[in-house]
Amino acid sequence: MRELDLLTDFSQKAGITIDPKDIKIDDTTLRDGEQTAGVVFANDEKIHIAKMLDKVGVHQIEAGIPAMGGDEKEAIKKIAGLDLNCSVLGWNRPVQSDIQASIDCGVDAVALSISSSDIHIEHKLRKSREWVLDIMKAGVDFAKSHNLYVSVNAEDASRSDMEFLLQFARTARDAGADRLRYCDTLGILDPFETFLKVKNIIDIIGIDIEMHTHNDFGMAIANAIAGIRAGATYVNTTINGLGERAGNAAFEELVMALKFVEGVDMGFNTNLFRNLSEYVARASNRILPTWKPIVGGNLFVYESENKVKGILADPITYELFEEKDVGLERQFVPGKYSGASAIIQKLKMLGHRIDEKQAAELAEIIRKKTVASKRSLFDSEILDTYKEFLGSPKKAKAGKGKDK
Amino acid sequence: MMAKLKKERKINIIDTTLRNGEKTAGVVFSKHEKIRIAKMLDEVGIPEIEVGTPALGEMETDMIKSVLQSGLHARLYAYCDADIEAIEAAAGTGIKNVVINISTSDIHLKNIYNKNRTWLLNRLREAMRVADSLDLGFIVSAEDATRTDLEFLLKVISLSKKKGAHRFRICDTVSRFDPFRTFLIISTINNAIDFPLEVYNHNDFGMATANGMAAIRGGAESIVVSVGGLGDGTGNAALEEIVMALRYLENVELGIETSKFREIAEYVAKASSRAVPIWKAIVGTNVFAHESGIHADGVIKNPKNYEVFNPAEVGLTRQLVVGKHSGSHTILHKFKEYNIDLTDKEANDILAMTRAMSVDLKRPLFDKELMYIYNEYKSGSKEKKKVEKVKS
Repeated sequence: MRELDLLTDFSQKAGITIDPKDIKIDDTTLRDGEQTAGVVFANDEKIHIAKMLDKVGVHQIEAGIPAMGGDEKEAIKKIAGLDLNCSVLGWNRPVQSDIQASIDCGVDAVALSISSSDIHIEHKLRKSREWVLDIMKAGVDFAKSHNLYVSVNAEDASRSDMEFLLQFARTARDAGADRLRYCDTLGILDPFETFLKVKNIIDIIGIDIEMHTHNDFGMAIANAIAGIRAGATYVNTTINGLGERAGNAAFEELVMALKFVEGVDMGFNTNLFRNLSEYVARASNRILPTWKPIVGGNLFVYESENKVKGILADPITYELFEEKDVGLERQFVPGKYSGASAIIQKLKMLGHRIDEKQAAELAEIIRKKTVASKRSLFDSEILDTYKEFLGSPKKAKAGKGKDK
Repeated sequence: MMAKLKKERKINIIDTTLRNGEKTAGVVFSKHEKIRIAKMLDEVGIPEIEVGTPALGEMETDMIKSVLQSGLHARLYAYCDADIEAIEAAAGTGIKNVVINISTSDIHLKNIYNKNRTWLLNRLREAMRVADSLDLGFIVSAEDATRTDLEFLLKVISLSKKKGAHRFRICDTVSRFDPFRTFLIISTINNAIDFPLEVYNHNDFGMATANGMAAIRGGAESIVVSVGGLGDGTGNAALEEIVMALRYLENVELGIETSKFREIAEYVAKASSRAVPIWKAIVGTNVFAHESGIHADGVIKNPKNYEVFNPAEVGLTRQLVVGKHSGSHTILHKFKEYNIDLTDKEANDILAMTRAMSVDLKRPLFDKELMYIYNEYKSGSKEKKKVEKVKS
């Protein structure tokens, strides 16, 4: 492709190369995912999700909020004791009692979260910037004295004054924090702003950055990628993007975007993605939309003539990755936008052969039936239509029976 | 470059819910629904609408005619392949403008048309000539433009400009680009040819909206959207996301009546037999629902702690959900709504009971259930036993 050589790449221009080995996923389905209004996981579900995440290959699991006590603490304790390959992290406010609860659970890492924006400091915490720095530093000191890996979370970082955010990052770094989580809590950044802001922190403070993005304006994935392009090395994801309000950066979208759009293959077991997404959708009592990027049931379903023709000639015509890469199936469904190709293909799968001229005539009939019923036809309806078209009502009945 | 867009910049949006939205496998609109959706889009001030694909035959051309007759203000487009019959079918409906689509990548040329680039240029030239002779205004749309050799793409754009196209549509058909590459390809083309550009994005990797916005930043004047992002495969850039992102991230005001967005999203969802996911950005019902202690407390103190705009602006309402992640402030606030002033101790005790019940039921609680908890808490030791049972 000539155009990629022609265009100067943003990251290259900034002297940044992305090494897949450096990028790590910290999945927060069990914490920010469950924090979503209306979502509650049972403890068994939490454990099952943790095991699946580990199997798929995430580097760290944010297992929950130990300070909540009760069932929540129990679940985190169990997950920490599962002997997973990944790290297990507990989420805390930067106060000793919270961190102690995490220590009680046996996690190896903690997130210490406090707002860094003046809006939050003034209207939510009702404290001062100094108070924020003090409490954060004390939290890091305490956690580090217990040999925990520490991710300091700058909540509402994207609305924070940059000078103060740099001070916040410096304080965290000097106190020994292992990374800074840059939270676009309200999802108000665009990728260009994200790139500049994250790069600025890395250039000046030199601390590992984790991206925590929200999807309020549909930019969670793009912003996480922008962060990586600017040198961030961790991304905080959730399965299906489950999270507060419009949700977080979806794990499966981020991993596939990195692999197929950015050329950064992290070696995840992507063929388990559909299963994982289905499980989390059920456990969170939500639908998995058929059009959900990467794992939606409709993604490899083709109806229109050009698409069917192109896919049959070579899947690369319309697909950057194949259905089996994510545990889905490819289908051809004749409908309103179909021509002969979809009909021929569908009938072939149902064990019948039809020539192109007849298929084009049949396509017209199926189009009318689809519009009349306001949906795609079932296989049995297509078979019936085909038999009627051939003028043999007896065979139509047999076909229907066989189809069941 | 990184600065916000200039306020005076004129951005156009063209909605394709009725065309690419309906092309989604399994989605079929009735005539009545098509007209209704077109009217709703028109009423809120969407400047341009793609109404359908005339080449599909009489049913479709009949629908297009009905939309044309419903007295809309928006400029209406029919969608055609670069095919003479298709363009004639469009003209037959009485529509004034068409989109002429042709795949420009070598991959598509080979796998769909099995032809070469010269064939493509001739076919497009002929299609534009026919459209012009039928007095149709037209946009040229390059399918799979993001996998097209840039020099060839520039050639196609030059040809379109020369033959009188309104503007040129760049389609990221397979979602190949991220916002940075989108920005670069659009600004590169923009620097090479002085001609209005439009972008069409797919959401295969969740970046349709971000890519659309990046294209606008790169100099595109127009963007193709659909309600809820409805479209083939993963869909397109969502109308509501683009309009609100322009308003709040770029300070560009299109003057669209956004308070109807929820209503439109619901109508299109019903007509396409789909749900509006409760978490759908901008219009999902959960977008303004707050449960966790920290968030709910923040919103009670001041909505701007966790909200960028007022829910009424998109036709939604704020909700405080009481469940596992609630804090005592939410409990105090919730009971205040029912004119009950709790002490801090009462709020904490009720919170513990609320969390336990929420975990047990695997869902948040209804207000009525909260009242039951309150009554149980307030009544004597006899009732207390029952609560203990719930807690365990």
